[in-house]
Amino acid sequence: MNLLEVKGLTKSYKGNLAVDRVSFALEERTATALIGPNGSGKTTTLSMIAGLLKESGGSIQRDFKSGVGFLPQYPQFFPWLSALEFTEMAAQISGVDGKKARQQSIRTLEFVGLGSAVNKKTGTFSGGMRQRLGLAQAIVHQPKLLLLDEPVSALDPTGRREIMDLLKSLQQDTTILYSTHILNDAEKMTDQLLFLKEGKLVEQGSLSEVKSRYAEPRIRLRFETEQAAARFEDRKLWPMNRDRNVIALPLSGEGPTMQQVLAVLANEESGIAGVDRQSASLEEIFLKVAGNK
Amino acid sequence: MNQFGVLLKKEWRENLRNYKIFWIPAVFILLGIMEPVSNYFLPQILDSVGNLPEGTVLEFPVPEPEQVMAAIMGQYQLLGLLILVLAYMGTIAGERKSGTATLLYARPLSFSAYFISKWVMAQIIALLSVWLGFLVGYYYTYLLFGSIDIMNLLRFVFTYSLWVLLVISIVLAASAWMPNAGLAAAASLGIIIISQVVDSLLGTYWPISPLKLSVYAASWFENGPDMADFWWSAGLAVVLIAFLLLLGIFISSRKAASTKV
Repeated sequence: MNLLEVKGLTKSYKGNLAVDRVSFALEERTATALIGPNGSGKTTTLSMIAGLLKESGGSIQRDFKSGVGFLPQYPQFFPWLSALEFTEMAAQISGVDGKKARQQSIRTLEFVGLGSAVNKKTGTFSGGMRQRLGLAQAIVHQPKLLLLDEPVSALDPTGRREIMDLLKSLQQDTTILYSTHILNDAEKMTDQLLFLKEGKLVEQGSLSEVKSRYAEPRIRLRFETEQAAARFEDRKLWPMNRDRNVIALPLSGEGPTMQQVLAVLANEESGIAGVDRQSASLEEIFLKVAGNK
Repeated sequence: MNQFGVLLKKEWRENLRNYKIFWIPAVFILLGIMEPVSNYFLPQILDSVGNLPEGTVLEFPVPEPEQVMAAIMGQYQLLGLLILVLAYMGTIAGERKSGTATLLYARPLSFSAYFISKWVMAQIIALLSVWLGFLVGYYYTYLLFGSIDIMNLLRFVFTYSLWVLLVISIVLAASAWMPNAGLAAAASLGIIIISQVVDSLLGTYWPISPLKLSVYAASWFENGPDMADFWWSAGLAVVLIAFLLLLGIFISSRKAASTKV
C-alpha cells in the first residue's frame, strides 16, 4: 500500500525550477534514499513533503493522519530549553497529550542515546548530540512517515553507524524517506532509490534494478603473476582488459559466461589465484548518472 | 495541554532564561526612580557639576508630583519604547532566521496559537515593566514631592498601558513581516516615530488618534481629556491592536516558508 504519492511535484523560484515534475510513491514500511549531487533539489523536495514549502505545481497525496517527522540537515534548537523540554514540546505540538508526551520523550531520548543528557540545555550539545536530538524530535510522536535530510552526514563513522542502526530498527513500523550523499549508507538501507539531478528525477527503482541497469557486470580474474595474466591475455579468447595481474572480462555483449570462463581455467595450468563477479557500486552509478544525461 | 498552553510555556521559559523578565522591568524601574530623584536633587547636582560662576542664584520651582509622573512617562516614551522594540524585534523574524522555527513549522502548528502566545508573553512583560516602573517611581515621587489623587493616577497608568499594548502589537507584527530582527526593529521604530511626529505636527486637526494616548494619559492630571475624543481614540487603539493581531497571525503563517531549513 502506498503511504505517500507524489505526482508532478514542481517548485520554481522566480522562474528557476528547483524541482521539476517529480513523481514517485512510497510504500508503507519501506526506506527510500533520495540521492543526487548538491543543489539537485533533495532538500526542496523534502521540505515540500514536510509541508514547510508550498509546491508550485503537482500534488502530494498523503494517506495517513498521524503526521510526519522531519529532521532538517542542520536542526536548530532553542538553546535555553533542555533536551527533554524540547522533545516534550515537540510531541505536544504534534498532538500527543501531556503525560504521554513526557513518557514518550524520555523513552525516545533513551532510544537515541541521550538518556544521560535529558536535562541538559540543548545549547551545550555537540554536533553528534544535536543530530540525535533532531532524530528524537522527529520520531517522538511516532509518525508514520519520517523525512530525514542528510541524517548522518555531519557525524563521524561511529555515530553514523549508530544512527543508521537506529533508523533500521525504526523501519518495522515507519516509512522512511531520506536524502544522503553517503552512498555506502544508501546501499545498506534502501528499498527504493530516487536519483535527482537538476531538479529532475533521472533514475528510480530498487537498488538491484538500478544496479542492473548500470551494472556492466564483469568477471575478474586474479593471477598469481603478471606473466600468467599476460599469457592469458595473449590467447585473445574474449574481449578483456588487463591491469597487471588482474584481468577483467565484461559479461555483456560478446563476453563469455561464467561457465565458459571456468571451463577454460579448469583445463590448464593458468596460475589463477582468484575469480569473482563484480557489479558496479552505487558510487560508480552515481558518478555515471550525475555526469551524463 | 493545547497548543497555546504549550507555546506559552515555551515563551515563558525563553523570557525567564534569557533574563528578559528581569532586566526589562529593571530598566523601567530605574527610569522611574531616576526622574523624581534627579528632579529633587537638581539644584545640588547643578551646584556640584555645573561650573556656575560664584554667587549664581538659580530658583527652581518645585515640580508638582503629577508633573514628575508625566516626566517618567516621557522617559518611557523615548528609552522605554526603544528597549521594548529591541527586546522583541526578533520574536518571530529571529526564529525564522536562525532556523529554530523550522522544527515547529514542520508540525501541525496553529499559527494563531503561535503568534498569540508570543504576543501575550511580550505584553505581560511590557505591562509588568511599565506598572512596576510607575509604582516605584510614584513611591519616590510621593516621598519627595507629595501624593497624587489615586484615581487620576490609575487613569493615567491604564491609558498609557493601552498605548504600550499597541506598541508591542506593532513590534510583533513587524517581526512576523520582516526577514530579520534588525529590519523589524527599524520598521517598528519607523512607524512609531514617524507617526508620532506627524501627529504632533498636524495632530491638532484630528483629536481622535491612538497616538495621542500618551497626551491624554498626562491630561488626567489636569482637567482630563475630552471624554468623547478619549474614548474614540481608545476604541480606535483597540481596533488597531485586534487588526495587528490578525495581521501578525496571517503573515507569520504566510511567511513560514522563509524559515531556514
